[in-house]
Parts: sequence; structure tokens; C-alpha cells
Amino acid sequence: MSAGARPLSVLIVDDEAPARTLLREYLSGLPGVTVAGECANGFEAVGAVEAAAPDLLLLDVQMPGLDGFEVLELLERNVAVIFTTAHDEFAVRAFEVHAVDYLLKPFSRERLAAAVERARSHAATRHGALLAEARARRGPLAARILVRSGPAVVVVPAERLDYAEARDDYLLLHADGKVHRKQQTMAELEASLDPARFVRIHRSFLLNLDRLARIELYAKDSRLAILADGTRLPLSRAGYARLRGLNR
Amino acid sequence: MHPFLARGRLGPYFAAWLPIGALLAALVRLAGAASWLEAAVLVAPLAVVYAFICLASWYPCRSLPMTAAQLPRTVFVHAGAGVVSTLVWLFVAATWSAALEAFPAFAGLDQRFPRIAAMLAAAGLILYALAATLHCAVRAAGLAAEADARALEQMLAAREAELSALKAQVSPHFLFNALNSIAGLAASEPETVRRTTVALADFLRASLRAARCRTITLAEELALVEAYLDIEKIRFGARLTVARRVADAVLAVPVPPLILQPLVENAVVRGIAHLVEGGAVTIEAHADDAGLRVSVTNPYDPAAAGRGGEGLGMANVRARLAAAYGPAGELVAHAAGGTFRAELRLPPADLQASAP
Repeated sequence: MSAGARPLSVLIVDDEAPARTLLREYLSGLPGVTVAGECANGFEAVGAVEAAAPDLLLLDVQMPGLDGFEVLELLERNVAVIFTTAHDEFAVRAFEVHAVDYLLKPFSRERLAAAVERARSHAATRHGALLAEARARRGPLAARILVRSGPAVVVVPAERLDYAEARDDYLLLHADGKVHRKQQTMAELEASLDPARFVRIHRSFLLNLDRLARIELYAKDSRLAILADGTRLPLSRAGYARLRGLNR
Repeated sequence: MHPFLARGRLGPYFAAWLPIGALLAALVRLAGAASWLEAAVLVAPLAVVYAFICLASWYPCRSLPMTAAQLPRTVFVHAGAGVVSTLVWLFVAATWSAALEAFPAFAGLDQRFPRIAAMLAAAGLILYALAATLHCAVRAAGLAAEADARALEQMLAAREAELSALKAQVSPHFLFNALNSIAGLAASEPETVRRTTVALADFLRASLRAARCRTITLAEELALVEAYLDIEKIRFGARLTVARRVADAVLAVPVPPLILQPLVENAVVRGIAHLVEGGAVTIEAHADDAGLRVSVTNPYDPAAAGRGGEGLGMANVRARLAAAYGPAGELVAHAAGGTFRAELRLPPADLQASAP
């Protein structure tokens, strides 16, 4: 790295204060690196990435609120990521979302320095792969759906979702009497949820089977799904076939 | 399955009847009821027939429980079965005797048959009794072997639970995170580092010692838990607080080592660690007529799906309680309204054992 180049701006995300202290101390000894800030949980991290626009995230995996992978899923800006964790079992997932490195705690100053250098060379050549990958590969089936609303993040546990409705280029998620708007395609949402519980009953509707009260025939070959709360949703011929397939 | 119908058993069983048949024939002859030829030809086949009939005494043996309380009933059933067996045998004997009558060598056998039948009736009852005794002895031996095998199996299961508990006693993630905290504070807070290493050493030493004991006192287990929490407090800072309400009277009660620590670790790792604001882990212990109650209560985030609730450590505690106390020891876990509570219930016998 030549002198005079723009310093690498790094955001520290870890819920444990001693771990943050260690990272800050290690980073302070590295040339051409500035610390953009520290976050103690995933919610803070999502906001701080937007506000401070760092080049690199040092990201813990297990944190309260949102875990490290969920943070990545919610980011709308590209940023290089180095995971830092005491758990080795997330390594495969970490490289699937194109993490620059995966550091097992505790690690040495030299190990971090090497990882940061890799991130620096990555940052110059990066394309927008990270975000799309994080969205596409959520690893195991999602137990919760994350929705950004401005700087805040709403967590909707999957079982609280009544149904999702596709609009032009976003989804409306109906849960607990509220409606959340999420920038995602129906196919992506459907792929991330348990197929035994969530069924595409119509091109524009994904239904939580627990909410289904009954099915009504209202014209020849045309049916409605009636939910426990009385909501009526259109049921396509293919959707009806899928429901019957599940019952078998 | 009948024990004598198994491969290789039927031969010795019938062999045992050969001298009995010979003895019966000799008795009939010596009583003057028949000639040697008559006695041999009439009685020897009948002995074989009766050997078959007596095999049936196994079934009452198997169906009746072998307890002292059931003895009168057992005797009554076998007496009835003995009479029936003997009557069946006498019927066969009469038929056989009538058939032999047709041969000139056995002329007049029908007149002598009543005396022979009387002897056969007495022999039939006695032989049935012997056969029933033999069958019941075989059955008792089988039951004893089964009980031994079951006891051995239970012992192995208990040992296995013990071993897996010891293997799982110190979570590697806990250890790595603790070491990371120590590294993190080394420059800025050397005094905290010193305290943390001492707490870590205390915890490891207590865990190793506990692994060698069948029981430790609740006070010792609480000290181990305290050392564990001291380390976690350094990681989590103000997010982790601890409240302890333990009756002095229960401190000396013996408990299996590392039976409470997994519950506390569960509360921290699956409860507090997932809360942005953190919370308090409450440890309570008291005794009543039902025994010792030790509970761990913590808040958790219900929206954090797949978190909260029970981890592997809890399953381990259950298995060890079952091994140590059987149904008398329980772990009751309950999650509601964002609060998780796990309660250990140990039987009162151990409370008395601890009385000075």
C-alpha cells in the first residue's frame, strides 16, 4: 500500500467490550487504518454501516438482536467482512457470503494484520457480489424474517407471519395485525421459509398454513382461502393443488 | 418359548425319563400287578407319553408371577393341572391297555388294569409335581439372569450419562471467549485480567475435582457457579447481573457435581447473550418436605427463534438426574412471557443424609 492512499476505515462489531477493546488496540498499531466506530449489537451495526460507510467490518457472529449473518443480509451497501468468533462451525457459511477472512478468537495481532491486508487488496477490486450472496444464501431455513424500516430493523419470527402478498417490486408481510413492507421477491422469501408451513397459494400470495381455517368454492373452479381471522385470499388452481399435495 | 423345546434340551429331558419309566415298570411288576412283559410293554411307552404331558407344566409356571404372595394360587393352579394331566394319562393308559388285550400274550390284562391304574394315578401326581418344580426352577433362573442383565444395562447407562456429562462440562466456546477477554483487557485493565485468570483457574480446578466425586455439597457447586459467572460478567459487562437467594440450611446438601452449572450456563448463553439490554440470572435454593429445590431463572428473547429454551447441557442434566435418583430426581423447565425457569428437584433422602 503506497503512502498517501486513502486509509481503510474499519467498523468493529462485537457484543463483548473486552473483545472490542482488543480489536481497537490491534488496529491502532496498523498503518493506514482508521476505526470508524464500535457497535455492541447487530442493530447498531446496520445503522452504523449506513451512517459511517466503512470499508471493512470486523463482525462477530453471535450477538443479541441480529447475528452477524443477519446484519449482512440487511446491509444495502457493499462492505468487506472479516468474521471474528470463538465458534469454528460458521466458517463454511462465512465463505459462502464471501467473507474476506474468518478469525477464531483469541487471535494474534499478526493474524488480524494479515486479514486486514487481504481486505485492503479485496476492497480495490470488489464487485457487488457479497450482498446478493448473503441474501440468496441464508444457510438453514430462516426462523425469522428481517425487515428494515428506515434506520430501524423489525424482526418477524416466521411463525408470526400470517401471509405475504406480492406487490410491484416489494412484498407486504402481514403479521400480528401489522403490515411490513420488504424489498424482496416472493421466490426469495418462499425459498427461505419452511415449505411444510408456508405454501404459495397464488402467484401473489404465500400463506402460513397454521392460519388457514377453510377453503370455499365461490364459483366453478374458483376457490378462496379463508383465514382464522376471516381474511379471504384468492386460491389459484395450482395453489389448491399444492395444498392438496401437502395434505396427502 | 418353552425352555426344553429349544435345540439340544429335549434329548436330556427325555433321557431323564428313561429311568423313571424303568422304575415305574419295576414297581408295577413288584407289586404283582402284572408280568415283566406286561409291565415293560404297557408302562414304558406310557412314561414317554407322560414326559410330553408334563412339558405343559411350563405354561402355568410362566404365566404366574413368582412371588411369595402368589404361592397359594400357584400351588392351587398346579394341583389342578396335575389332576388333569394324570386323568389324561390314565385315559391314554386305558386305551393302550385295551389295545394290548387283543394280543394273546396280554390276555386278561383288563382284569389287572384297575390295580395298575391306581399305581399310575399316584405316580402321575408325583411326577407332575416333580416336573412342575423343575419348570419353575428353570423359570426362576431365567428371571434372575434377566434381572442381572437389566441391572447391568442400567449401570452402563448411568456410567455413560456420567461420562458424557464430564466430557461436556467445560464448553470450549466458553474457554475461548474467556481467553479472548483476557487478551482484550491485558493492556488496559491488568487487575481485571488477574482476577479473571484466578476465576478461570478456580472454575477449571473445581470442574476437574468435581469430575472425580460422586457428590459435592451445594455450597461447593455454588462456588463453582460463582467462578463461572465472574468470568461471564467480564465478557458481558453490565448486561449480566446475578441474584442469589439460597437458604443456609441447604448449603451442606450433597448434589451430583456440575448439576447446577449447566443450567446457569444455559441461562447465560441462550438467555442473556441474546438480549441487547441483558438481564439478571436468579439462582434460588431451598428445601421442603418434597426435597431440595434449586432453580435458575432468566429473561430471554422470544423473538430470537431457536434460542432461549433448552440446550444440550440441559439434556445432560436430565440424564444424570435419572441415573442418580431415578424418577425421584427431576429437572422441570418452563418458558413463558420472556422468562425461562429451570428447577432441579432432588429427593429428600439426600437431605437427611446430610444432617449432621
